[in-house]
Amino acid sequence: MISFLILISIVVCFSAILALALNFQWGLGGMVNFGLAGLYALGAYSCALLMLRAGANTFFATVGAMIIVAAVCGIVAFVTLRVTEEDYFAIVTLGVGEMLRLVALNEDWLTKGALGLTGIPRPLGDVVPPQYYQYFLLALSVALLLGTLWFLNALARSPFGRVMRAVREDDVVAATLGKHVLWARVRIFAIGGAFIGLAGSLHAFYYQYIDPTQFSNIVIAYAFMAVIAGGRGAHRGTILGAAVVMLLLEGSRFVKDLIPGIDSDQLAAIRIIIIGVGLIMLLIYKPQGFLREYRLQVDLK
Amino acid sequence: MLQTAFNGFVTGIIVTLPALAITLLFGVLKFPNFAVGAMMTLAAYMVFTLNVQLGWPLIAATAVGAVAFGGLLIAVDYLTFKPLRERGSITLMVASLGLGFVLENIARLAYGNTARSFAIELARPFRFLDIRMNREQMIIIGVSTLAMLAMYVLLTRMPIGRAMRAVSDNPALALVRGIESPRIIRWTWFIAGLLLAVGGVLIGMDRALEPPMGSSYLIAVFAAAILGGLGSPLGAFVGALIIGMVSELSTLVMPPNYRIGIPLCAIALILVFRPQGLFGQPYIRK
Repeated sequence: MISFLILISIVVCFSAILALALNFQWGLGGMVNFGLAGLYALGAYSCALLMLRAGANTFFATVGAMIIVAAVCGIVAFVTLRVTEEDYFAIVTLGVGEMLRLVALNEDWLTKGALGLTGIPRPLGDVVPPQYYQYFLLALSVALLLGTLWFLNALARSPFGRVMRAVREDDVVAATLGKHVLWARVRIFAIGGAFIGLAGSLHAFYYQYIDPTQFSNIVIAYAFMAVIAGGRGAHRGTILGAAVVMLLLEGSRFVKDLIPGIDSDQLAAIRIIIIGVGLIMLLIYKPQGFLREYRLQVDLK
Repeated sequence: MLQTAFNGFVTGIIVTLPALAITLLFGVLKFPNFAVGAMMTLAAYMVFTLNVQLGWPLIAATAVGAVAFGGLLIAVDYLTFKPLRERGSITLMVASLGLGFVLENIARLAYGNTARSFAIELARPFRFLDIRMNREQMIIIGVSTLAMLAMYVLLTRMPIGRAMRAVSDNPALALVRGIESPRIIRWTWFIAGLLLAVGGVLIGMDRALEPPMGSSYLIAVFAAAILGGLGSPLGAFVGALIIGMVSELSTLVMPPNYRIGIPLCAIALILVFRPQGLFGQPYIRK
């Protein structure tokens, strides 16, 4: 039981990093990312392939994955937003995400297609004794989550954070005040992308095996749910949202024992239905989420 | 070559119906609806129930299923999009994404992941000008053309169609002229429901019925609507034919698995060179 809790906590950690990345792009930056699942897959595959094919160690593979996803996100944002509106941007991200998943599924020579990549090395896997490894991975995940939180918090409170919120609320006003809207958006999307890459790398370390089915639409549904529940723009809220959603998702495995005669496909379908309905209900009834975005407060004494 | 072009023509003509639905919905509601793929899937399964499980002929099943689905979409709009109407397009897009997940998985829950097909008798494909065609393709072309003509008449000759165009062109002005937008929105959903149901059935005839069948067309449908100019019905038609032909012809020079890449590249190119699409109005900001 303890080890089950530890494993779930690790899943919560990297899911929370993914949700934080989405929150940065969408909650703070106002840019919807419907290609999240594909970009997440890109992060996991980049990390795994850098180790398995290019012989990088775990640290450089993670950094490499972050850079690759950030670059892809930056290019997508630059090409699309240079000319058009957010509506089109959402469609393009959806398409890019699908395309990345197709590459993972079809380029057998690189990704082994539907078979997936096996034997992914773990950080310090040969130093830490196996019986303690899950504790180590948990500590590492928590540390990375806290690091991500600290970094994104610092950014949100920096001058750049104020530019982000200005661009989100009204890009015309931001532009009138001399802010370079396109450049700000490209940076927002790329920084968010870097953390999607980090989450993807942790995913690869945790499972040690990745295949295209792990990066299905449930990733998108779950991440949006976490961000909305936590309150768009609120970092701690997002982590809380991610934890709650992930516990619900993992906990729903036990539903299988409660309802007889339900197979795993149906269970998966029910989980997505619940998340989707929850998403819409939250948007309607609790659009501001459960925690508030950071606001600059002035002490008037 | 000719054969591939013909197949592309059929693919394109399948995409015309959902592309038209998307463009009508966008025109009136002002957000791109990401649930249309799943809506086609669910509608196709509804028709499947009538056709296979209750043994109705496919035409009757499609007619009844389409009308029922149009009604269902009015209800869905009332429950999900109506409370969010004033919240801006990003919120609505996210809600439509969530709705798409729900609808697709209702179909998956009810019918499972196995591919199914409608009860239609098999007919031997015939040849014309050295192109192999089968009866399903003929039906697809016939039905889509009829639906397009009906839409043309509706949008240009009938009061409700003109009102829809008025609302999509300028909601405030339409309101001043006494056009009630809630009624128009209901009609738009109903008509989109008819189009999506027929589109879903055609996809099911062309390929097979399975839960991701509708969403796999989503990018192509968006590309078609954007190429034609979001909000322009004629554009959706032309855009769908171009996208269908080009993506099918692309399989001659690149691996067929990446067919979806063509609509995606098309979107990127259109956005860079002609963001308003072929038939759209240039978009003027604020």
